[in-house]
Amino acid sequence: MMKVWVVYPLRVAFASVPAALIVSALAITFLPPSVSFWVSGAVSAFSAFLFVAYAWGRHAGGLLVAPAIALLFCMNIFPLLWSFGLSFFHYRANRLAPPRFAGLHYYEKVLSDPVVWDRLQVTAKMVVLTVSLQMVIGFLLAMLFAKQFPLRRVLLILVLTPMMLSFVAVGAFFRYYYEPTFGLVSQAVRVFTGEPYVLLQSAAGATAGIVFADAWMWSPFVMLLVLAGLVSVPKYLYEAASIDRISHWRRFWSITFPYVRSLLMLALLFRTIEAFKLFDVVFLLTEGGPGTSTETIAVYVYRVSFQYFKTSESAALAYILLFTVIVLTNLYLYFANKRNRT
Amino acid sequence: MTAESGDIAVRLDSITKRFGSVVALDQMSFEVQRGRLFVVFGPSSVGKTTTLRTIAGLERPQEGKLEINGRDFTQAPIAGRNVSMVFQSFALYPHLTVRENFAYPLKEAGTSAADIAKRIDEIAQILSLGHRLDNKPETLSGGEQQRVALGRSLIRRPDILLLDEPLTNLDAKLRDDMRTEIKRLHRQFGITIVYATPDELEALSMGEEIAVMREGHVVQTGTPDELYLTPKDLYVAQKIGSPTMNVIGARAGSDGVSINAPFGNFPLSGVALPSGTDELKIGIRPADIRINSAQQEGIAGRVRLLEPLGDITIVDVDAADQRLKIVVREAEALSLQPGSELSFAFDPARLHVFDAESGLHMT
Repeated sequence: MMKVWVVYPLRVAFASVPAALIVSALAITFLPPSVSFWVSGAVSAFSAFLFVAYAWGRHAGGLLVAPAIALLFCMNIFPLLWSFGLSFFHYRANRLAPPRFAGLHYYEKVLSDPVVWDRLQVTAKMVVLTVSLQMVIGFLLAMLFAKQFPLRRVLLILVLTPMMLSFVAVGAFFRYYYEPTFGLVSQAVRVFTGEPYVLLQSAAGATAGIVFADAWMWSPFVMLLVLAGLVSVPKYLYEAASIDRISHWRRFWSITFPYVRSLLMLALLFRTIEAFKLFDVVFLLTEGGPGTSTETIAVYVYRVSFQYFKTSESAALAYILLFTVIVLTNLYLYFANKRNRT
Repeated sequence: MTAESGDIAVRLDSITKRFGSVVALDQMSFEVQRGRLFVVFGPSSVGKTTTLRTIAGLERPQEGKLEINGRDFTQAPIAGRNVSMVFQSFALYPHLTVRENFAYPLKEAGTSAADIAKRIDEIAQILSLGHRLDNKPETLSGGEQQRVALGRSLIRRPDILLLDEPLTNLDAKLRDDMRTEIKRLHRQFGITIVYATPDELEALSMGEEIAVMREGHVVQTGTPDELYLTPKDLYVAQKIGSPTMNVIGARAGSDGVSINAPFGNFPLSGVALPSGTDELKIGIRPADIRINSAQQEGIAGRVRLLEPLGDITIVDVDAADQRLKIVVREAEALSLQPGSELSFAFDPARLHVFDAESGLHMT
């Protein structure tokens, strides 16, 4: 910490406020507007700087993060708590009626609703399919990119691109990709069958389309994590193994894999949580159809809350999901840690 | 295969290894007798590790020939050579226990489980690691890790064991212990060991034969005594022996049988200077100089510094504008202190004479 910040007391900073005001007033009175704008801006910035510098010198980190905390509270923490409160009241966001206390009514309703269980099953199916596809493809890509070959850097950037695209862009892209009349998939199938192919019209096709799009977007993420593990294996271990005449298969399982395992578990956790919330791609590609065959729980929550405006019910459902994810995550971490220790 | 070549475990013949434009090994040649503890000695980045890695098969040389047990292995894959190696970093498999580390090289060779268990017990007993067999390497001390690395290399009974600066990562006390340990293992197993080290003490105390390396090639090969008593050139003379040999500029005497040094003329014994030689360097080992008692005549000098090392003291002396080091027994040094005058002498027969230009020893 630089000592220069603590050379002045706090009253200097406070004194700078009226000084800045006076200077600004004088500037506005006597100078043309285009000049006084910059003068008053500069003196107020300097005054603010004195406060920040003082806080910095006094290790008053709290003061410095206060704006961020305030923003976080307004935008995030408060709405979270508020919606939690609403889940215990009768309330619809499109009516003016004040909330009436409902107790656990909505929780009971959600948990006994067969539709919810159906949507959860759809979600589970999606999660299993997309996460396992991502893990396999991501792992294979990482194995590939752990080697050195020409154009590796360029290809790596290309492979990482989907992850950085916005969901809407990916959704729009795959919509065109699956489009029956001129989409690439349909045209490719037409070469063989002579008929346009509508992938998203069957439940299985729609599921496959969504899973493929999601895996396309997120396999690079798994690859990045696995690659980090692969490149962290010290080279001398492979050299020692080759002198010990160890087969490639055994080398992979006892040297490489242990370095990747914990990262693989982490990737699995991240991707499962994310896939559980699968919304964007589904909404953009199928909107849950055909029928409700691809309507994940996240899409269902959206419908309940913003199409049927059952605000309390959707809040209750959302909190049940949050609770489920937290419990599952902690169980997973508990078993993962236990396994690592032994 | 002749009977004679059958006794050579490793032969490097003019091996050259380049990494891009960097020449790591430049016409490297030496032979290792079967069962020898052969030391490759030289300062860091001189090519010791590359030499060992070439023998192991981790590097393929661009030129030259590598023979193991009389067979050409220059470009052969690693698998065919019955060679094992201990890395400077030990390279223990971190996710396997000590027992699994030991078993690892054996499993692949198809050794039966009973045999593996027997051999592990055997090696663990030799290296006194019995109580550590079920620990992971990271929980072991440096010395224990070192022993595991040795054990893993020895367990499949290689023809040749390569040790790449195995003691560098250990502290001083452990190094002493491990030096003895490795010598003992060498005797017990009777295998050929090629041992790379930048440490002169290690080289001299362990090597039955030492190759002194400089810039990718061998300058001189010999027993520790040979290297100490008859260094081939100034480089070897200054690398072998501690403290370093005193080297002083001198001129050949006009009669051809004497030397004019800054502090006197000395007769040459057993050296005939070729005509035309003028500039010389003379070397005298610090241990070959003795300090005279007051009444004896000798070369006058002044003490600059004293380095007491327990049994011996290194005396740093100024004499005729030259700095010399003299090793004396501790009792003799008691009367000395920085600034005090002394006189010293040495046997001219123990002088080493080098050509100033080429650095070659003139004998």
